[in-house]
Amino acid sequence: MALLEAEHVVMRFGGVVALDNASVDVDPGLVTGLIGPNGAGKTTLFNVVTGLLPPTSGAVKFDGVDITRATVAKRSQMGIARTFQKLEAFNTLSAFDNVRVAVEQNHRAKWKHRRVSDVAHEMLGKVGLDDVADVTVGTLPTGSARLVELARALACRPRVLLLDEPSSGLNEEETSSIGQLLLELVADKDNDLAVLLVEHDMSFVMGVCARIHVLDFGKIIAVGTPFEVQGNEAVRAAYLGGDEFRGAYAEMDE
Amino acid sequence: MIFGLRRSVVAATLLATLGAVVLAVLTWKGSQVTSESFLVTTYIGLFLGALWAMYATGLVVVYTTTGVFNFAQGAIGVFSAFLYWELHVNRGWHSILALFVVVCLFAPALGVTLDAVIMRRLRTASLVVQLMVTVAIMVLLLSVVGDIWEADTPRRVPYLFGINNGIDLGPSQLPWHRLIVFAVAIAIAVSMRFLLRRTRIGTAMRAVVDNRELAALNGARPNVVSSTSWALGSMMGALGGILIAPELGLDPATLNNVVIIAFAAAAFGALRNLPMAVIGAMLIGLLRAHTGAWLDFGPDFRFAHLAVAPLILLFVVVALPQARLEVGRLAHHLRRHERYTKWWEGLFGCGVVILLAVVFSGGWLDFGIWDPGAWGSRELNSANEAMALALIGLSLVPLIGWAGQINFAPLAFAGFGAFVYLKLAGDTGNGYWILLVGLLCAPLGALVALPAARLRGLYLALMTMAFAQAMSLIFFPHPWVMPIIGTGRQFPHIELFGVTFDDRRGFFLLMVCVFAIFVYGLVLLRRSRYGRRWMAINDSQAASATLGVPVVWTKVVVYAVSASMAGIAGVFWATVSGNVDSVQGFDLLIGFNIVLLVAAAGVSIPMAGIFLIFIPLFKGFGLRLEDAGNVDFLVTLLDIMTTYGPGLMVLGMVFNPRGAIFEMGRGFSPILPWRSDARAEIAAENAQKREPEIGELGLERPFNPEEVIAIDRRLGILDDVVPKEGYGTARS
Repeated sequence: MALLEAEHVVMRFGGVVALDNASVDVDPGLVTGLIGPNGAGKTTLFNVVTGLLPPTSGAVKFDGVDITRATVAKRSQMGIARTFQKLEAFNTLSAFDNVRVAVEQNHRAKWKHRRVSDVAHEMLGKVGLDDVADVTVGTLPTGSARLVELARALACRPRVLLLDEPSSGLNEEETSSIGQLLLELVADKDNDLAVLLVEHDMSFVMGVCARIHVLDFGKIIAVGTPFEVQGNEAVRAAYLGGDEFRGAYAEMDE
Repeated sequence: MIFGLRRSVVAATLLATLGAVVLAVLTWKGSQVTSESFLVTTYIGLFLGALWAMYATGLVVVYTTTGVFNFAQGAIGVFSAFLYWELHVNRGWHSILALFVVVCLFAPALGVTLDAVIMRRLRTASLVVQLMVTVAIMVLLLSVVGDIWEADTPRRVPYLFGINNGIDLGPSQLPWHRLIVFAVAIAIAVSMRFLLRRTRIGTAMRAVVDNRELAALNGARPNVVSSTSWALGSMMGALGGILIAPELGLDPATLNNVVIIAFAAAAFGALRNLPMAVIGAMLIGLLRAHTGAWLDFGPDFRFAHLAVAPLILLFVVVALPQARLEVGRLAHHLRRHERYTKWWEGLFGCGVVILLAVVFSGGWLDFGIWDPGAWGSRELNSANEAMALALIGLSLVPLIGWAGQINFAPLAFAGFGAFVYLKLAGDTGNGYWILLVGLLCAPLGALVALPAARLRGLYLALMTMAFAQAMSLIFFPHPWVMPIIGTGRQFPHIELFGVTFDDRRGFFLLMVCVFAIFVYGLVLLRRSRYGRRWMAINDSQAASATLGVPVVWTKVVVYAVSASMAGIAGVFWATVSGNVDSVQGFDLLIGFNIVLLVAAAGVSIPMAGIFLIFIPLFKGFGLRLEDAGNVDFLVTLLDIMTTYGPGLMVLGMVFNPRGAIFEMGRGFSPILPWRSDARAEIAAENAQKREPEIGELGLERPFNPEEVIAIDRRLGILDDVVPKEGYGTARS
């Protein structure tokens, strides 16, 4: 059984159907990808899973427990952590304090009786932000603020980590080191971590994901390994429908 | 879901009905209900409802189209009513002409000006800044009215067509005036509904508030739209003010408080639903008329029947569904580094404040050209008033400054604190009870916040306002609460550590010490995990929740802390005033002024509280200058500063939301020997100023070769830069 399951989730906003019977499952020990054209409903699915949006119908299960009605904070305490597509860092706090809030507030973050500041420093170190620990996040470049969000999510010692376009605003080296970090995190058996990744950077997705779900107009149109998904006709049609991914897709073909 | 209704709606309705029945049975006057008297009461209620519907319609239109909730709506009405009086009664213009000039020329002009100069810039501002600025406009408009039309002459606005002309209803008359009001209110509501839902500009108006950029791309002109809605909103305020003035009399405060009822009505329509807002207004009108006619609350609760609006707001707040945590609204843009006061800096600062207070009040200073001299009783009175206000202001720092939640009722909490102290310490004035006062006020703060904490911040602001009104209508006037009123007895002197603080200077120094303790406590709190958590929910509630912070509970706790501080401050405020008068000492408008001043000072900084001392100090100085003679212009100047200062300063927040103290601190800190970081920051800023500005696309000057290479490398179009295997190519 998968660690995190979204089952037949429907999300309607007035007349707009953002998610139409979408089911996604995420297993520990690997990075699962969630891709799809703009407006496919990827972020909406994240919001449903983390509890920011109550779904019109369908269920979210975590470790076999139905959490569809649980509050956002409750889910976080159970081990679901996320980052945001549009930044939600605590702008007036320093990078260090951003992470510290997570360590202080999350029960799961009480790591083996270690000091709060030690854990916070370690997390900042993992994403490579040691030297800006005391800088107010609002003054940092967007890419660094995104990494602060990642460090903050990691500090919750999550069992499921939902990442919403972590590579946007990062340069190539930073992106590849994030990919490396994700692979290391899921490979570590002690973490027992599952990652669900929304990403537009196809080479990044294909490089780190073991399984990929493809979302289009709120529906899951394909599930499989990167290789399977690349060969899928429906996926090609969905992507080739929009101009911006033609380049990305051409590259996947090579 | 029960009968297709939300559970919260059903629960709130049941609760409200039950409460109403119990109340009605308890306070039934016993007068006979005839169909005639019932009808007459109903039509008075509908008329009142129509007036409030007019205000509420203006509020809803402006809110749905600009996202700004206009606290100044009532003040616009007040100003217009006075202007109408001036033209019609004082200058003898015909009523139709005066009405046209005020409603169709002056009001739209005011609305458009407000929008162009101020409101447009508030679009991306935080809720605190938005609300503070509209409250500031309210206070400024009221001050202007007070200055132009001084309160000494009695004024009346006549009814349109007189009170005696109208339709005969048998037992009473239905004057044309009321009939017109009713018709106009309904006509306005219907036409606004039509405008918003069925016309092109209406669709544009609603679209702009959701997504300004997208709406602009589709041909809507956001500035035209927001000016239109402000003009419309302001016209409705003006009309409401002019039409209600004959009923309530031409008194600024009374007329302005009408808007609180309109707030409740607007909330009944969830601030956006026009028909529901009108129904809410009618409901409040009917309830108010009927409670006034059939229920008798006795002499102890003589104002209780006026408290319908706060109760309706409470009902709405309980019935509304939980608000979604919003994401994607955050502007990732901060120009300045945030720095927290270190613990020893706080200690040092507090020490300096106490020292200055001792030295100044004792008159141990002589600057050679100016000897301030020892403070007389008048200066000490001013200073004491100032310190008490500063203490109350401090209670807002964690709440507004850190957690970003709004409280318009600091004086209501302060009054409750004074009441608790009076009951506990009695005539002894035993100061140790103050600590218990703090503990007992905390649950009250939590209770006020609890129903609205799960909703958007605006509802919490409205709740605190309703609470303040309910307290001053129901609680404070009760003779058991504040028995001092009218008896001439004084609030007892505080006694601490075996010392009775009965002389003014001793009491002043005691308050300075308490102030220093509060400030230092806040400095420590801000550096603690609690302070961090509060600032985190201010920055992003959604992100806080996803980290495991219980957001609703956190808000409730901040309110409790703030109420507790305000309660303690209230003991001192009451002692300074000597007696606690519910009407003056804890008035809502004074509360607004306190909130405004703290906000203008820079509410995230503990020392901001000290800014509140300026108003009473100015008053004290003014008196001193008047004694000296020949400095009339200075007296006038100080008078103007006291009246308009808070409002004008808050308008500055449009451009500098951090407040005055923050800027002063930035200028001041480089001279402190240990603040090398501040000196470095200033130096860096100056260096930046000297460098020529580089246009975003190299428009100001051409790119140099290095920059061209850097840009090409970034874009991945340079031949000799081979994109690293796998990464980056797809994105460019």
